[in-house]
Amino acid sequence: MDVSELRKNAKVQLDGHPYVVVEFLFVKPGKGQGLYKCKLKNMITGAVLDRTWRSGEKFDPANVESRKMQYLFKDQNGYTFMDNESYEQVALAEEIVSDDSAFLLDQISVDVLFYNDRPVGVTLPSHIVMTITECEPGVKGDTATNATKSASVETGHKIQVPLFIREGDKVKIDTRTGAYVERINT
Amino acid sequence: MAAELGGLAWPARVQIWDAALAAVRGYFRDQGLREVSTPVRVPAVAVEPFIDPIAAPPGLLATSPELAMKRLLVRGSGPIFQIAHVFRRAEIGERHSEEFHLVEWYRLGADLDPLLADVEALVARVFAATGSNGHVPKTWQRARFLEVVTATCGAALRGDEDPGQLLAALPPALADEVARAADMSAGAEPRARTLLAWTAFFTAWSDMFFETWLKGHDGTHLVDFPAPLAALAITDPGRPWLARRAECHVGGLEIANGYVELRDAEEQRRRFAAVNELRRVHGAPALPIDEDFLAELPGLPPCAGIALGLDRLITLAACRTRLSDVSLALAGG
Repeated sequence: MDVSELRKNAKVQLDGHPYVVVEFLFVKPGKGQGLYKCKLKNMITGAVLDRTWRSGEKFDPANVESRKMQYLFKDQNGYTFMDNESYEQVALAEEIVSDDSAFLLDQISVDVLFYNDRPVGVTLPSHIVMTITECEPGVKGDTATNATKSASVETGHKIQVPLFIREGDKVKIDTRTGAYVERINT
Repeated sequence: MAAELGGLAWPARVQIWDAALAAVRGYFRDQGLREVSTPVRVPAVAVEPFIDPIAAPPGLLATSPELAMKRLLVRGSGPIFQIAHVFRRAEIGERHSEEFHLVEWYRLGADLDPLLADVEALVARVFAATGSNGHVPKTWQRARFLEVVTATCGAALRGDEDPGQLLAALPPALADEVARAADMSAGAEPRARTLLAWTAFFTAWSDMFFETWLKGHDGTHLVDFPAPLAALAITDPGRPWLARRAECHVGGLEIANGYVELRDAEEQRRRFAAVNELRRVHGAPALPIDEDFLAELPGLPPCAGIALGLDRLITLAACRTRLSDVSLALAGG
């Protein structure tokens, strides 16, 4: 494709990897050649690099697609997800899901990224609600300090929560940082 | 540079354009120039290396009113100005838009000096008329193109180097860019190869050195361009390796570009041909040559002309950084 098609969020194939344009700047000095200055993020590894194209040059669009899928189960093949529209099931290897497995609740809906029709990554909702399955007893009234304690959620993952949290409480978690956000009153 | 303030509210946009348009017209009326309005759809545009017209069958949308205004000068218009809608394909960015407004004017028998004085007065007048809190340079300075090149990257150039000589004079970062351009144009005519090398040098030097230099030199007229970058300007009679072309920079933006106008039709034809060859090397379509313009060019009275980007000037007056912050274009338009 012609570089004039480049925009923020365009998907670009570069050195055999899919990249997304995260920052984009068009500059054109005087009557000189236009420059398309891009900051690119590798859609699989997250690595960031700068690349400038000149007007008239071409780029390869990356064959990437994001599909809404539901988490079903884990077995020796890895983590199995089902396409919400086609009901097709796909198993993702453990190294692709990696740390996100901590937040894979049964039937949670996620975005699975496909590159050349191969699943390469999972994007969780930015915030999810999980249930505390195990923690030390709650300390009543202690809402003012920043003190925390360790607690388990239903996937077995451990997070830090305020002292007033009790077993059975529902809490909102930021999946990007893994941090506790708030208790959900039920 | 102005802070990130976001777009103006709609009433403020209408107000600032109204004030700026009135200020421009008021200034030129005071100066005794006549206002003209030439067609937006034209049979041909000035052939430029990196300015691509938008097709509007059976013609093209004007990339500048230059050729049409020169033909009015040939017909005895006297000094004229225009606030023109112009179009340049695929120029989309914070400081670029495919459609924008050029204020273009011509003075007879003139050198560049009165035009540069006009630019300074016009900037001050538009800032005053719009009640701008923005910074207007108190004094503007002239900087000779090749002296700024030497000051910024160390290269000593005269202005008429061929690609090999240019390459040898440049520091490695810039030489790489020129070498790449020279490789691309290996089979082209010498004139096109020289144009390509100098254009590649100018683009890379502006990007790597000149933009940074400008931050410390607000209100600069860049003058004495090297002859290969003359475009539609005459070369200096006493120093034919230089062109009588100027670029005006304020607030980190190039806002105007002017020439003492070339009146030699054969020279103009050779330049258009070299540009079309450069375009071919870059894989861009050749542009039609405006034969009517070339036929009439010898009748052009001695004159100088300059074009100023009105959208950029209004953006500066509003203390904004993006044309879209002040534009009257509606989303999706």
